Amino acid sequence: MRMTGDGKGVFAAGWRLLWHRWELLCWLAAVNTACGVLGALPAARQLHRILGHTLAGEQLFKGFDIAMFYELVRVPEAGLLRFTNPSYLMAGLFALLMLLISGGVFESYRLDRRLNTGEFFAASGAFFWRFVRLALMSLVVFGILGDAYLDGEKLADRLGDKFANDQVGFAIRLVGVIGLVLLMLFVRLWFDMAKVRAITDGEHRMVPNTFKSLEIARQRVLDLLWLYLRISLVAWIAALIAFLIWMRVPPAAIWATFILLELVVLAQLGARMWQVAALTLWYKRYAAEFAQPSLEVAEPEPPLSLYPETELPPADA
Amino acid sequence: MQLRTFLFFLAVGAFCCAPLAAQSPFAPKVSGVLSQRVVAYQIEAVYEPKQHAVDATETLIYRNLTGQPLSRFPFHLYLNAFQPKSTWMYEAHRDGSIRANEFASWNQKEHGSNEIISFEVVGMGDLSKQMKFISPDDGNPDDKTVFEVQLPRPVAPGQEVQFRIKFRARFPEVVARTGYKGSFLLAGQWFPKVGVWWNGAWNCHQFHALTEFFADFGTYDVKITLPGNYIIGATGVQTGESDNGNGTKTVAFHAEDVHDFAWTTDPNFRVIESHFDGSVGPVKIRLLSYSSHRSSWQRYLDVMEAAMRRFDQWYGPYPYAQITVVDPPHASLEAGGMEYPTFITGGTGWFGTWVVPKGDHETEVVTAHEFGHQYWYGMVATNEFENAWLDEGINSYSEVKVLDGMYGRNASALNLLGAQMGDRDYLRGDYLPVAETDSLARPSYTDMSWGAYGGVSYGKTAMILLSLEAIIGEQTLRNALRAYFLKYRFTHPTQEDFMRTVNEVSGQDLSWYWQQAVYGTQVFDYAVLRAKSTPANWYEKDTEEKPGETLYETQVILQRKGDFVFPVEAQIKFDNGESVRESWDGKDRWVRFVYQKKAKVESVELDPDHKLPLDRNYLNNSNVATEQLGASHKIAAYWMFLTQMLAYLLSWLV
Repeated sequence: MRMTGDGKGVFAAGWRLLWHRWELLCWLAAVNTACGVLGALPAARQLHRILGHTLAGEQLFKGFDIAMFYELVRVPEAGLLRFTNPSYLMAGLFALLMLLISGGVFESYRLDRRLNTGEFFAASGAFFWRFVRLALMSLVVFGILGDAYLDGEKLADRLGDKFANDQVGFAIRLVGVIGLVLLMLFVRLWFDMAKVRAITDGEHRMVPNTFKSLEIARQRVLDLLWLYLRISLVAWIAALIAFLIWMRVPPAAIWATFILLELVVLAQLGARMWQVAALTLWYKRYAAEFAQPSLEVAEPEPPLSLYPETELPPADA
Repeated sequence: MQLRTFLFFLAVGAFCCAPLAAQSPFAPKVSGVLSQRVVAYQIEAVYEPKQHAVDATETLIYRNLTGQPLSRFPFHLYLNAFQPKSTWMYEAHRDGSIRANEFASWNQKEHGSNEIISFEVVGMGDLSKQMKFISPDDGNPDDKTVFEVQLPRPVAPGQEVQFRIKFRARFPEVVARTGYKGSFLLAGQWFPKVGVWWNGAWNCHQFHALTEFFADFGTYDVKITLPGNYIIGATGVQTGESDNGNGTKTVAFHAEDVHDFAWTTDPNFRVIESHFDGSVGPVKIRLLSYSSHRSSWQRYLDVMEAAMRRFDQWYGPYPYAQITVVDPPHASLEAGGMEYPTFITGGTGWFGTWVVPKGDHETEVVTAHEFGHQYWYGMVATNEFENAWLDEGINSYSEVKVLDGMYGRNASALNLLGAQMGDRDYLRGDYLPVAETDSLARPSYTDMSWGAYGGVSYGKTAMILLSLEAIIGEQTLRNALRAYFLKYRFTHPTQEDFMRTVNEVSGQDLSWYWQQAVYGTQVFDYAVLRAKSTPANWYEKDTEEKPGETLYETQVILQRKGDFVFPVEAQIKFDNGESVRESWDGKDRWVRFVYQKKAKVESVELDPDHKLPLDRNYLNNSNVATEQLGASHKIAAYWMFLTQMLAYLLSWLV
């Protein structure tokens, strides 16, 4: 039976919702930038110390001499790789922060209005542990996927040995990578669905929620995967355009390079938020199709009960 | 019927007479015996593709040219290295070889082996029971890569002894540049090979993970029986081929004045032929590749032509009639980048199966390097176990020169999307982390690690020779290499022979350099410690500095941070455009230069012509008065971007 939830219009509606709630994206981009600055700061100081008074820097400034960059990495006195830990730390912190505020983000998209600080963090806090459980489960699934991919690589090697054309093994790997990307995208939307359901339906039990979300995602796999894929493609096309522009930017134009790189990051973050917004809208539209009769009728949670100080918007708003 | 009978006898006759009428193994203008032919191998082998194994009978005639009676003969059985508990396996595992780490999960069938079925000495009987495995390097009782045989009576000086050995060689899945992958086979180090009597003793090392081989010159007549649809390439030239009528064929090869014999086969090979017109006549270039590597074919031929022409002009002729170039299949990259006499393997790279960007010169770098080994290993046959720098290092230097000539110094390894890298920089990258580990003179197989072996034998040696140009000049060094090649080709020179030749050709006693660069582990690191201008009348109060009028005293201090002593130059630039060059013998720990000028120092640069890649740290070779923030800001921006993207990706997962 063909269901009606084909997601038509959600792509554009998701974009509009992202645009309406632009402050969320700006906020995340600012935090991401701050993490980037803090992560890069120790390396920047070391670079400044090493390159500040040497002619060697010219080869990196007026072009990009890989040999000189290699020098920075391999010469023990420079030891640039020693400064990767702060970057890893800040990247990890950002991921944790995203997990922490996911509740607020999803809720803001669900209500399609600006939450004040108290509301935002109240929602974040209310859903934090549920989202942590979902994150742990998604990491297990991603881990299984990664492991399966490694096994697939070995299989590709074995299959490749059996064919006369020595490209076969490589082609199998390539197909495997594409398959992996699609599977990862599916897992992402599956757990995003679980988050949306937790927010929208007030689901508390994350294991049943996960299975139900999988069922919904499976039923609408083509529509939803295409929705997520299209949004990702927009981000990657933006990155490609930025790369093509960057190729034409003079090597010494640091500010232009910096702005282009930040736009790439913004496009990726924006695409991620767009996916969340679009999925939230999609579920709002089609949730009724997936409602299942239950013997035990749970008392629905008032969606705004978490924020007693909030005034309810007019019913027809 | 008569016609068929006639054709049959014609075919048989053609095969039997083939060696007589066959192509000479040498280029047209080469004649005579080029080496002391100590050994003569005749091998008849049958290849079983399904079992990845060869059953063979080897007849080895050994001429005793040692000047003394010999009764003990050591032999290599290299394929036994691919067995658990072998020295090779231990060392490979210790140094993190991927294949060795996977070894635990290898199927027993994937273990390589050389099994001696019988060992007979003509006139002395079957000596199979006299065979004894020995481990001259590490005493490992489980290593079976060397065995020795004690003859009942010695072989007198000048006499010959004939060994008849029946053996079975089972190849591993491709590892250490030998083995099979699918239907592809690279048969290297596959037959029992006698050691080398060198410097008054047998030199027959166990197979080590780091190092390669050493063998005597001689002749090879090898017949290989294999399935009729298999295409084969090997050392030397093909002298015959016969259809055995049972779906198999036998192909005969002949090689002279070489010290090893390797071959490869695959039914899927495509044969592409070209030739190079060298100073001793045309040389056939036979490329064995795959249809899917079509985009690389012309690149192989172009780099071969370029490398052969330069080596011919610079060092001397390539005397053989043919060079076989093998482009291994995608999944067997470990078969790539290997040299055997008149036979080399390249490597297209995984994405090269479709298209390799023209700016990525990896195919050219590898091919030029492996061809260079025809000179530095193939003809000048140094001991690769002990002095790997003599073949790998000198060859890396030659490779840099070939690639620089083809693509320019700064883009010889990579010229892609605005990013450039010279081949010398790539080799320098190997050298930098191991600048203070092993000396060149240390027996290579005892080097600290795989990284140290590669960094020292390839990278450091290339840097030493490039830096040597600063003392004796590029052309003189080229002349010295030519003299070394012409004098020692088809012999086994020592490292002292090489250094002595350079001394003689340059007319300089370079022992001070060799002592540090070859025998020592001194680190080469010179730095600009200080460059500062202050008003000469600094003691006067309230003086105003006026550009072009105020007299400044400029102090420049150069420092020798490492223990390697070397004369260096420095260029001092002032803000009025004036420039001064200073020379320093580099012996003291530091030197001070003082100038009084109506200008301030703008920059100081050591080694301004960038002639000393042996200097371990380029970053301290200069000092500029005005702070330069461009490079650090640029890299910091990239760093920040990568951090942000990593943060985004991690957040995507949760």
